[in-house]
Amino acid sequence: MSEASEKQKAMKLAQEAAASRVNDRSRDIGEFVPAPDDDIIVCRCEEVTKGEIRKAVHDGMWTVTEVRRYLRTGMGLCQGQTCGRLVKGIIARELGISPALLEPATSRVPMRPLEMHIFANEEKEE
Amino acid sequence: MKRYDLVVVGAGPSGLSAAIEAAGRGMHVIVFDENEKPGGQLFKQIHKFFGSKEHKARVRGFRIGQELLEEAGRTGVEVCLRATVIGLYQDHELVVRIGDAIEHVKGDTIIIATGASENMVTFEGWTLPGVIGAGAAQTLMNLHGVLPGKRVLMLGSGNVGLVVSYQLMQCGCEVAAVADAAPHIGGYGVHAAKIARCGVPFYLSHTIKKAEGTDHVTGVEIAQVDEHFQFIPGTEKHFDVDTICIAVGLSPMSQLLKMAGARMADDPKKGGQVPVCGRFGATSLPGVFTAGDVAGIEEASSAMIEGRMAGAAAAAYLGFMNEDACEKREKQLTDSLSELRQGMFAPQNKGKQLTVTDEGIPLSKTLLTKGYVSDEEIEAFPGFTHRVGVHPVIECTQNIPCNPCQDVCPKNCISIGDQITALPKVAGGAECVGCGMCVASCSGQAIFLVDEDKGDGTAEVTIPYEFLPLPAQGTVGTALSRSGQPLCRASVVQIRSGKAFDKTNLLTMSVPKEFAMRARFFRADKEAAK
Repeated sequence: MSEASEKQKAMKLAQEAAASRVNDRSRDIGEFVPAPDDDIIVCRCEEVTKGEIRKAVHDGMWTVTEVRRYLRTGMGLCQGQTCGRLVKGIIARELGISPALLEPATSRVPMRPLEMHIFANEEKEE
Repeated sequence: MKRYDLVVVGAGPSGLSAAIEAAGRGMHVIVFDENEKPGGQLFKQIHKFFGSKEHKARVRGFRIGQELLEEAGRTGVEVCLRATVIGLYQDHELVVRIGDAIEHVKGDTIIIATGASENMVTFEGWTLPGVIGAGAAQTLMNLHGVLPGKRVLMLGSGNVGLVVSYQLMQCGCEVAAVADAAPHIGGYGVHAAKIARCGVPFYLSHTIKKAEGTDHVTGVEIAQVDEHFQFIPGTEKHFDVDTICIAVGLSPMSQLLKMAGARMADDPKKGGQVPVCGRFGATSLPGVFTAGDVAGIEEASSAMIEGRMAGAAAAAYLGFMNEDACEKREKQLTDSLSELRQGMFAPQNKGKQLTVTDEGIPLSKTLLTKGYVSDEEIEAFPGFTHRVGVHPVIECTQNIPCNPCQDVCPKNCISIGDQITALPKVAGGAECVGCGMCVASCSGQAIFLVDEDKGDGTAEVTIPYEFLPLPAQGTVGTALSRSGQPLCRASVVQIRSGKAFDKTNLLTMSVPKEFAMRARFFRADKEAAK
């Protein structure tokens, strides 16, 4: 039994350590080092490059939402359907953490791009 | 606001199955799907499915789709197409875009069966026209009848990459190579073997360095990667291709559930963000269930069972089914699902590198790296038999849940037994009549009929053949080995295309008898093919 509780304790500690790697903004993640593939476009809709995303992390944007607001990644026509996972991976690598620890972008209405005149075209309640 | 007993989002295999199950219990059901046609991925699946009879094994995916649609019609399910659910709110309210209008709909129960979307990888030139998802290639070919390209490189050796590579060849494209950053082929060995014997090379531990071209893809450069997935200098290989297909996995499209406030978890084994589910697809939101890839990437056969489970659970939730009946039904479905979730590709074995089969036979290493079982390795498997007269030779070497070969043989020559993942054996004593049902029924196209010695120095090999044009009797050409290498001259002695074979033609070729156990594909001479 003690072995099981030890294991639980260790798991909790590991989780806390992982969480602090995401949340502890005073942590030193090192300097931004330019890479040869920095000019590859990652978010096609908003034409954001890998280098811009990596730089944003070094500018202090440590979450998907922050990078999204800073660079508009995932805010174009496809709403991050293609790049969501890629952006998350780039941020995680820059922070030295597993992508699973990063909260994905917020999901909100409308789930799919649609024209405003349609969005406003609500059926009338009889 | 319109109100339904059940609203299903997504008319794919799991969504339709859920709707049918619920409607069969008397529920008033509507299914919304944003596409023009229902069926999800099923109508792109032109290959035969694996499993047992109960799982519709050896039936082609699109036919399963047709059956589901008919069943949905019979049970009174309303399928609403071009209807995009753009929001899921509290109190079971959905906002749906139908045509140019926004409608609000209420479901006393809701089943989210939105499936998954394709993952992408980035490399130099990945935004060039000509770099497409494997699913997109399938949509072009199988739904719209459009050739994606002439010469293709496939990135990804999972089942999607392998199956789509084969379909690309079926529609007349050339597949230059299949590359994968992983050190081993990820999909079924039989799917890999199908394309390897047509001569497609596999490059494992290789990935794309760059796509070449200025305004569209004109070539691709791949290179080997080390165990940290870093390129090894000097290992670059170039291919002239006009299309690069990406098949590097799927991500659940679970955003609606996240939006509605369901408890979510990031589970790499399930493909990403998935709802945390209780029994039978119950999410943390009361009355909201989920089924299929959205709750964890698997395949269509298990998605259909999960759909049934969620449908029954929704019926029980609203009292359309009493608890006893529900328990009984769920037990039945759970058993059926666990039968599918067995073998070396089962979810619980994901990421494990097995070395022997359940029977204790060493797994073929060449199959995992080159896509074919080597001549030395194949002899060890129970289906690979030598005999006088015509007999089946079964090159099924991995434990996967599938058994149509056992069911279709009228002479009981083939046995798998009760354990559906066991490797098929050719039973001693039983007499093969050469009907070819096993050859046509094997979803992995891994069964051949061989008459090793016709008495005149030749042998006859019958292979499953799903390419057009179909060579006529008497056509001469080259027999290819399991690895796709030219072996010897061969001529077609018979073509069989019975209705029961469901478009898998049986091509019997005559080869010198020393090649009987190696000749596994036929390529007609260019002049003869005209």
